[in-house]
Amino acid sequence: MAINFEQVNFSYGAGTTLAQPILHDINVTIPDGQVTAIVGQTGSGKSTLIQHLNGLLKPTSGRIIIDDFILTNGIKEKQLTGLRARVGMVFQFPENQLFANTVLDDVMYAPINFGYSKREAQIAAKEALKRVHVSEKLWHKSPFELSGGQMRRVAMAGTLASNPDIVVLDEPAAGLDPKGQNELLNIVRDLKSAGKLVVLISHQMDHVIAVADHMIVMNNGRVAAEGTPTEIFNRDLSWFKEVALDLPKAGQFAEKLRQKGRSLSRRPLLLTELAKMLNGDDQHE
Amino acid sequence: MVKAIEINNLKYSYDEQPLFNDFNLNIEAGQWVALVGHNGSGKSTLAKLILGLLVADEGQIIVFDEQLSIESVHRVRAKIGMVFQNPDNQFVGATVADDVAFGLENTKVDSSDMPQKIDAALTVVGMQDFKDREPHTLSGGQKQRVALASVLALQPKIIILDEATAMLDPDGRMTVMETLQQLKQQFGQNLTLITITHDMDEATLADRVVVINDGRKILDGTPAKVFSQRRVLHDNGLELPFANELAYQLDKKPEDYMDERELIQWLSTLNK
Ligand SMILES: Nc1ncnc2c1ncn2[C@@H]1O[C@H](COP(=O)(O)OP(=O)(O)O)[C@@H](O)[C@H]1O
Ligand SMILES: Nc1ncnc2c1ncn2[C@@H]1O[C@H](COP(=O)(O)OP(=O)(O)O)[C@@H](O)[C@H]1O
Ligand SMILES: [Mg+2]
Ligand SMILES: [Mg+2]
Repeated sequence: MAINFEQVNFSYGAGTTLAQPILHDINVTIPDGQVTAIVGQTGSGKSTLIQHLNGLLKPTSGRIIIDDFILTNGIKEKQLTGLRARVGMVFQFPENQLFANTVLDDVMYAPINFGYSKREAQIAAKEALKRVHVSEKLWHKSPFELSGGQMRRVAMAGTLASNPDIVVLDEPAAGLDPKGQNELLNIVRDLKSAGKLVVLISHQMDHVIAVADHMIVMNNGRVAAEGTPTEIFNRDLSWFKEVALDLPKAGQFAEKLRQKGRSLSRRPLLLTELAKMLNGDDQHE
Repeated sequence: MVKAIEINNLKYSYDEQPLFNDFNLNIEAGQWVALVGHNGSGKSTLAKLILGLLVADEGQIIVFDEQLSIESVHRVRAKIGMVFQNPDNQFVGATVADDVAFGLENTKVDSSDMPQKIDAALTVVGMQDFKDREPHTLSGGQKQRVALASVLALQPKIIILDEATAMLDPDGRMTVMETLQQLKQQFGQNLTLITITHDMDEATLADRVVVINDGRKILDGTPAKVFSQRRVLHDNGLELPFANELAYQLDKKPEDYMDERELIQWLSTLNK
């Protein structure tokens, strides 16, 4: 069930005099059963790109193939129902998505919408809430009485409850505490083990290196690079400046060390790797 | 020492369950305090209590010698500026300059003085060239700096930033943090900063780090002191800053706490 973008262009307000071209010539593959990270500066087109995955936005030209589904500009809204059930999205500001009277009702909404009975929806919702570590104490509270990080988890549970095959997370870590961020990475790993295709938009390269198999770098509405995180993070330093991308913290630290005259044999991408190199454990490599 | 904020025996609960129960905190004028704690630990609630947006059940909150009460709340609020997490939810003006003007219009500032005050505030945050831009055309980091300018124009003695960098990309975070450092240099003792954050690397920039959990103060001290408590931080859902975690994992460690710059310096002179 890989996803293929073929010659995709997208403009907001296409066909009007206010048309704003945003995505240009997108040709990428998002591999099945893997975690793909989409990275790039704010405004580079990440959120616009992923909103094509469930037909929330339609390509102005070109097409997107999602398993056996072909999304083109001409597709009708009612043809999208099946796709929407298979592609779960957690939007960038999920707190804007919450609406029900209680946390539990909120999370039950999507499964009910996709045809679960009330009982089934409740079971699915409770499982999803546990999965994202929302304490049972909060299930009957209003979602608006939660702290920002708690709301984020509830919104994520709302998406996971209907068990979609493809899970798209738009900056899910923003506002989570460090423990919550680690839990999020574990959720991503779990989803992958359960055979799902996961798309993760992130500004934290440490998260990308921790969970992603594949990486798409966006810059000004174009794909600036595609590859494994190891391939991409070993590019020349000047390239990172060009596309306004960070290295993982370990890589940044190593580059600063190099500037001070202490070079390492290669660029570490993880803290543990950097520590080992500095400890001299890998001199025989 | 002048006290900017004094919180004595604070009690507060949203419902039956108490969140703050006998909470105490003193912040000196001119201090930069990073307030950290896991999601739901009570950071935003504390900020709202200080601003008088929520009313304490018991205890006192004193801001520059004025005790918070129904009668004093407006005077207290005028001393405090607040910047929130979501850059898109804090704009009221059609242009950047309008937005800064909006807050000033509610004060006694002479309208002839306004353009100059607006310019000054935007200059401090490095956004003077964006005066006529519509806020929605700005990047997240730029929006947060405008929000900061709107607050600065009102000349608060205290600024509270509630996870103001959480939604930003690395570049946006960096510009906001650099702006804060520069503000501290410029205003010194005249500006008290409280930054609420989950980013421990940001917290190291503060003079003092306060860790709270479920309304209780867990750790309180200099970054050096707080970030020597790896276990306690982990037990409270937090982590060490990158440089301190790295130092912890080294066989040959520096004896004392070092921030990133110091650790790089130390490592670069070691067995080169
Ligand atoms: N609804 C919209 N109408 C017009 N332009 C938009 C809309 N949403 C986003 N844009 C513009 O599209 C570009 C890409 O935005 P977005 O996809 O949100 O980027 P990212 O997620 O990488 O930050 C930006 O220039 C943004 O201003
Ligand atoms: N309006 C509210 N009504 C009831 N409970 C609330 C409300 N706002 C926050 N809470 C609860 O108070 C606790 C602290 O929340 P908050 O101060 O927002 O935490 P933080 O800012 O540290 O993430 C959380 O458990 C949250 O669920
Ligand atoms: Mg986005
Ligand atoms: Mg908060």
